[in-house]
Amino acid sequence: MRKLFYLLSLLVVASMILSACGGAPATSAPAATEEPAPATEAAPDEEAPAGGITAKDPTTFVYVTFGEPDLLDPALDYETAGGEILQNVYETLVTYKGNSLSEFEPLLAESYEISEDGRTYSFQLHQGIKFHDGADMTASDVSYSFVRGMLQGGGSSPQFLIVEPFYGVGTTDISEMVEVAQMFGLEALADGVSTEELDAINADDVSLYDDVEAMQAVDPEILVGVCEDLYSRFEVDDSAGTVNMTLALPWAPFISTIAGYWSSAMDQDWVAAQGGWDGSCETWQNFYAMQPENDPIYDKTNGTGPFILDRWTPGEELVMVRNDNYWREPAKLERVVIQQVDEWSTRFAMLQAGDADAGAVPVENRSQMDALVGEVCNWDTAANDYACETTDDSKPFRVTLGRSTNTRSDIFFNFNVANPDGSNTYLGSGQLDGNGIPVDFFSDVHVRKAFNYCFDWDTYIGDIFNGEAIQSTSLVIEDMPGWNADDPYYSFDLAKCEEEFKLADVDKDGIPAGEDEEGDIWTTGFRMSGTYNQGNTTRQTLVELLSANINQVNELFIMESVGLPWPAFLRSLNARLAPIFFVGWHEDIHDPHNWYVPYLVTFYASRSSVPNDKYIPLINAGVLESDPAARNEIYRELNQLVYDDPPGIIGVLGTTHGFMHRSVKGVNYNQNYSNLYYYPIYKE
Amino acid sequence: MITYIIRRLLLVPFLLFGVTVLIFGMLQFLTPVERSALYVRDIPKTSKQVDGIILKYGLDKPIHIQYWRWLVGTIDPVTGNRTGGIIYGDFGWSRTGSQPVVELIKTRFPNTLDLTLWAVAPIILVGIWLGVQAAVHHNGFIDQAGRMFSIVGTSFPTFVFGLLVLMIFYANLQWFPPGRLSTSMQAVVNAEGFRSYTSLLTIDSLLNGRFDVFIDALKHMILPILTLSYISWATFLRVTRSSMLETLRQEYVTTARAKGLSERDVIFKHARPNAMISVVTLAGFTVVGLMGGVVITETVFDYPGIGKEAAEAASQLDVVTVLGFALFNGFILIIANLVVDILYAVVDPRVRLA
Repeated sequence: MRKLFYLLSLLVVASMILSACGGAPATSAPAATEEPAPATEAAPDEEAPAGGITAKDPTTFVYVTFGEPDLLDPALDYETAGGEILQNVYETLVTYKGNSLSEFEPLLAESYEISEDGRTYSFQLHQGIKFHDGADMTASDVSYSFVRGMLQGGGSSPQFLIVEPFYGVGTTDISEMVEVAQMFGLEALADGVSTEELDAINADDVSLYDDVEAMQAVDPEILVGVCEDLYSRFEVDDSAGTVNMTLALPWAPFISTIAGYWSSAMDQDWVAAQGGWDGSCETWQNFYAMQPENDPIYDKTNGTGPFILDRWTPGEELVMVRNDNYWREPAKLERVVIQQVDEWSTRFAMLQAGDADAGAVPVENRSQMDALVGEVCNWDTAANDYACETTDDSKPFRVTLGRSTNTRSDIFFNFNVANPDGSNTYLGSGQLDGNGIPVDFFSDVHVRKAFNYCFDWDTYIGDIFNGEAIQSTSLVIEDMPGWNADDPYYSFDLAKCEEEFKLADVDKDGIPAGEDEEGDIWTTGFRMSGTYNQGNTTRQTLVELLSANINQVNELFIMESVGLPWPAFLRSLNARLAPIFFVGWHEDIHDPHNWYVPYLVTFYASRSSVPNDKYIPLINAGVLESDPAARNEIYRELNQLVYDDPPGIIGVLGTTHGFMHRSVKGVNYNQNYSNLYYYPIYKE
Repeated sequence: MITYIIRRLLLVPFLLFGVTVLIFGMLQFLTPVERSALYVRDIPKTSKQVDGIILKYGLDKPIHIQYWRWLVGTIDPVTGNRTGGIIYGDFGWSRTGSQPVVELIKTRFPNTLDLTLWAVAPIILVGIWLGVQAAVHHNGFIDQAGRMFSIVGTSFPTFVFGLLVLMIFYANLQWFPPGRLSTSMQAVVNAEGFRSYTSLLTIDSLLNGRFDVFIDALKHMILPILTLSYISWATFLRVTRSSMLETLRQEYVTTARAKGLSERDVIFKHARPNAMISVVTLAGFTVVGLMGGVVITETVFDYPGIGKEAAEAASQLDVVTVLGFALFNGFILIIANLVVDILYAVVDPRVRLA
């Protein structure tokens, strides 16, 4: 018996070794070449054959990454891992034109027109488009998708982007419209929601925001009325294939707003058949602020896009297969596999082995991948594309360098820190006594300017970005209204930092700190905590750099670097406990409104108690102005205000340093896509 | 023995209750906002969003109400649909796993069990063999080499060894890839014709007559098995060796030798069985440890087992998933301990279960 066991064991081991040795996947010959899909242009230099580099499997694209979708409901998902799937499975009325972030072209729409007053958008849809299940896509499906998104909304979804143009500046969620209707009557919604009405509903502690039970308890007449009001903003003709949308205000970035996957067309009948909302105004409240666990389509899709979701095994992989009945020419790739591989070394091994075509590469590991690069592509701003050059024909990867990205980490000052019962340890003693700071420490403009002058952008770029970043000179980023090369900005200057600290009057006795014999910040010093979420090395470096420099100016100035676990960090921000905090922003749409609002009005502004009365009129005027030059002038004025009275320190924008297997061609490098749009991609 | 087993099984619900109460209790040290962090991946748009989440999941409720909610679930007042409730078999929704906890356990545990089944034999058999050889050649070359191997094995961090073999056998030689199955074989498994009998990929592939899938699955498990074996052999070697040395010094061994028995019979028929008590304990713990998931090995080799998922859930304070896994692992642990206790009696007739 024992001998038999040994024999069997030997056989199994031998068979595995034999299969392993003989089973290394064969390198495929170059694909039988077909022309790439014409829909999106590829980088010109990529078209040249990549020497001896060929794909193991030219029909399948494999991407190795970490982090996976929250859910696959296009209206509710708000993160890039899900966005990547949704933008390939579903489609929107309009989309980005090639690599451009500010030019658009119709997709599901054949054409569109904007009324003279800038409030009505009329879309003529392509005929004959079908969902993956074979059903026809109609104009009613399009309007249903918009209405569904806004009614289901909730704080976790991206629908705040759509709600604002339909209901007015500052609105974020349908719950606000219900509250306005409760307070002022349904007729108040007809011309959108005014700032006064918003202030009125926000004045009390009662809120329906994300509270499903409270929403279900609202007077049914109000609920039906709000839903009907929303439907009334869409005029649909199924036979003609037209959809007209009427906004509350002429909204300059409306087209870029609806180019995102959150505006995808969904099949109303299919959603209802899955147990989702059927479009009835009687029941929408039961689907409001839905979480993934309650969403019947959290893991199902039925779009019109070039790929069909084949399977999603959370934690393992997600596979999309080509839609052979696609309304345009079908995609070249037959299959896209997105594998979850949390450990970098394992991802690297897969890239090295040629089992993955691209993957998530941390900044600190780029040098490992650089060793595999045989083709270098640098961003050519004039051509709006990468210009590539082969450097070593035997190496399998292409690196794309130099394009400014649209994500930035910044530093925010809290103008009025919460200190319940004196328990806020981030403030030290809570007094200007050398061991702490008062709650309104950052309300002094000279303190804020001093912190700006003490920040060393060059060292930050060198340490964290390996030199691959550029300083942002205004809140908005390059290539959009509001960005001007001659905008004033702060530079690292320790002498000016010292000068500003001496001008500060933290004890508010009317005497600048440098001349205050009774003592002020310059002579007493201060101690406080700079908080960031643990594990984020970029933000940690921001704190440490700033901390070292202010200490260099005056050794009595101490800012401790405090890395908090995500839950504790969230609490510190939510309760406004952090005197200075380090966070980031990734733009949703390439428009200045998407930067000014979170920084000066909502997300971060509310956490830092920024006095924003002077900013809001300009922000509102800017978003309603459709002429880019006029918008730019408005935002130029805003930038000057921000420079004169800085609410924080504006960071840097990294530049691209991405890797892709050289057998992959036709890549569309539009950064407002969530990772890759696979339709134009093909492999040799 | 039957009474003993029944008594131990009756204790199971109480032990599981204790484990879950302990986890719930510990979580009360965190504020409701901190516990809401699981549902907020990015900085929320307004503080109202966090308030809404606290309200929805009852995170500000007293511990007994939260525990009861987890136990029996909640009923939607309008639709009448029940959400959650472990007594109804609904362990809740795993945020980190993006699916119900029960589904998560169903998909992940078979993978871990598959790995355990294939890893346990080389770990235990080779480990014991190494220990016996070291003891038999006490202070000889084999013993010294074994002790050296044991020290190196114990002090070699798992992730370093794992990455090393991954780089050699996958990145360079391309023999044994990470993950669970190659894409083409996964397509075979997902096809309609492939039937799942046991949820264990290696067994199912053989039952379906797909030897290619079987080989592919084994190829993906070789490196995890090698890593787990290497770090476990060191411990087995030390325990078996010392246990064997102690047994070899017993008088009955001397008697056996005096009777003229061959050295082989003395070692394998008399000494080794008696040295197995402590080894059985270690083997039991090893099997239980493997079945509970091996976080580092699963992470390095991207093996979709239960350990990797549990670690991810714990690090993100995914209470629902952690509780579900704790319940499941607690159950496995209790059963495995019971089996080990019974094995004691089998290995050593002097042990009486009562």
